[in-house]
Amino acid sequence: MSDDSYDAGRDQPVVYIVDDERAVRESLEDLLASVSLRTRSFASVQDFLNFELVDAPSCLVLDVRMPGQSGMEFLGNLAQLGLRLPTIVITGHGDIAMGVRAMKYGAIEFLTKPFRDQDLLDAINQGIGADRVRRAKDAAVSELKERWQTLSAGEQDVMKRVVRGLLNKQIAADLDVSEITVKVRRSHLMRKMGAKTLADLIRFYDQIHG
Amino acid sequence: MKLKRTDWPRLQSLMLIAPFLLAMAVIFVMDTITDYAIAAAVFYTTVILVATRLLSARAVVVLACSCVLLTLVSFAFTRSGVYEVGLVNTAISIVAIGVTTYLALRLVAAEATAYETRERLLRIARVTSLGELTASIAHEINQPLTAIVTSAGACTRWLAQQPPSLDNARRAIDRIVQEANRSSEVIARIRGFTSGKEPQRSAFDLNDAIGEIVSLARSQIDHHEIALTLDLQPSLPEVLADKVQIEQVVGNLLLNAIEAMTTSTNKVRQLRIVSSTTDNGAVRCSIADSGVGFHQGEVDHLFDAFWTTKADGIGLGLTISRSIIEANGGRIWAEANQPSGAVLLFELPSVKRDTE
Repeated sequence: MSDDSYDAGRDQPVVYIVDDERAVRESLEDLLASVSLRTRSFASVQDFLNFELVDAPSCLVLDVRMPGQSGMEFLGNLAQLGLRLPTIVITGHGDIAMGVRAMKYGAIEFLTKPFRDQDLLDAINQGIGADRVRRAKDAAVSELKERWQTLSAGEQDVMKRVVRGLLNKQIAADLDVSEITVKVRRSHLMRKMGAKTLADLIRFYDQIHG
Repeated sequence: MKLKRTDWPRLQSLMLIAPFLLAMAVIFVMDTITDYAIAAAVFYTTVILVATRLLSARAVVVLACSCVLLTLVSFAFTRSGVYEVGLVNTAISIVAIGVTTYLALRLVAAEATAYETRERLLRIARVTSLGELTASIAHEINQPLTAIVTSAGACTRWLAQQPPSLDNARRAIDRIVQEANRSSEVIARIRGFTSGKEPQRSAFDLNDAIGEIVSLARSQIDHHEIALTLDLQPSLPEVLADKVQIEQVVGNLLLNAIEAMTTSTNKVRQLRIVSSTTDNGAVRCSIADSGVGFHQGEVDHLFDAFWTTKADGIGLGLTISRSIIEANGGRIWAEANQPSGAVLLFELPSVKRDTE
């Protein structure tokens, strides 16, 4: 019951399901469809990796025991692969050790089969929420980086010193320009960066270089 | 009239020693009356080789020392022959006795270790294969169960929509039915694969079955110095049951009894197996031990699955025994033994009762 229309809106969340059991995949797709969530499901980790992810808030429901690469192994490699998907681990034979390992690898939830559908839906909503926040943050940072690039070299020099708390007079001496020039560049960069106060500017600078 | 047979392992070993002493005496006389040149004392090694098969290590060492002593005494009493030759022959005999004793005891110890290791391996194999079996059953059953629970959740939600999405709900229900059938297939497969088979009933003498199992367990009974009393009623009516299954039950009860006595601090180790007919024409077998027994309240749990008092037990032996006995139309129960221990009893329908 996967939705093929990816243009249905960039904010329409997508849930990825990786489980080798066809019946489990189908029932999960159906459950998520019944609460109007888009799904994409895969029978193996390899199939999932071959798929180009949709640009939308998403989360991953991952089975542990699968032929080929196990879900747990894959979870450990997620960060290295540059994937920052909130992940819910599901398993048919879980113990405490496995649960601890899953959480260490950054899973947001660990559920043993059979689980309560509401528990899974809660975890998925939480995951999508977290992913949405992360995406918004990422978008804001890339926006700030773009603005930083619009600054002239001289304005960037001034901004680096302003955020370190230097006074105009000190910056002028440091850069060997007049204090007037510093003041002009400073007002330009405040406008270009969209900062109303010095506090805004420092925060933006931290985000760009964070 | 009833048959009675009693085992006293200690008395047995005393009686065992007699032939060895006799053989040693014969060799001693030969060694003494013959010439120095004839090293009859070397034959003591034969006595020691046979003794290591039948006697404890300590007894063998005592025998070997006696042999050395006897060799020296013969040397002193022998009158004919060249003295030097006698000296060399005696030395050779003593070395031969010593080396033989050492090697034979080493061999016996190695065999005992091998036996113990094999026993332990068997036990571990049984437990781990059961662990693996349950893990794979859990996995096999959990998959359809997950699909069922999840589909039921989806179905509820499709029905709760305004208006209810009946087609989707129906599809979810179809999946539930399909997966429920799949899990029952898994269970049927497991049952067929293990002992869920229908019993293959035939008429047989329960005394024979008991005898076969007792002879299988004989080495264990002797090894743990257990006094076994077989009190089997002669011309017992034949029972109608699956002989192999009943033997499994008798074997299980017997091993339980042995284990209960070997883990008990009670020095008295008495095992009593009785067969008899009951007033209503059934055949009864009881296995009584002088082991740890069970506490008040435990008797209700004895036959529960996964309930055990053993440190490394899995708690399925009596559960399986009960399902076997009941599948064969009988009943099984437990009573406390006096002054200590447990009695496990079972009854099976006899052929006689069925025909009368």
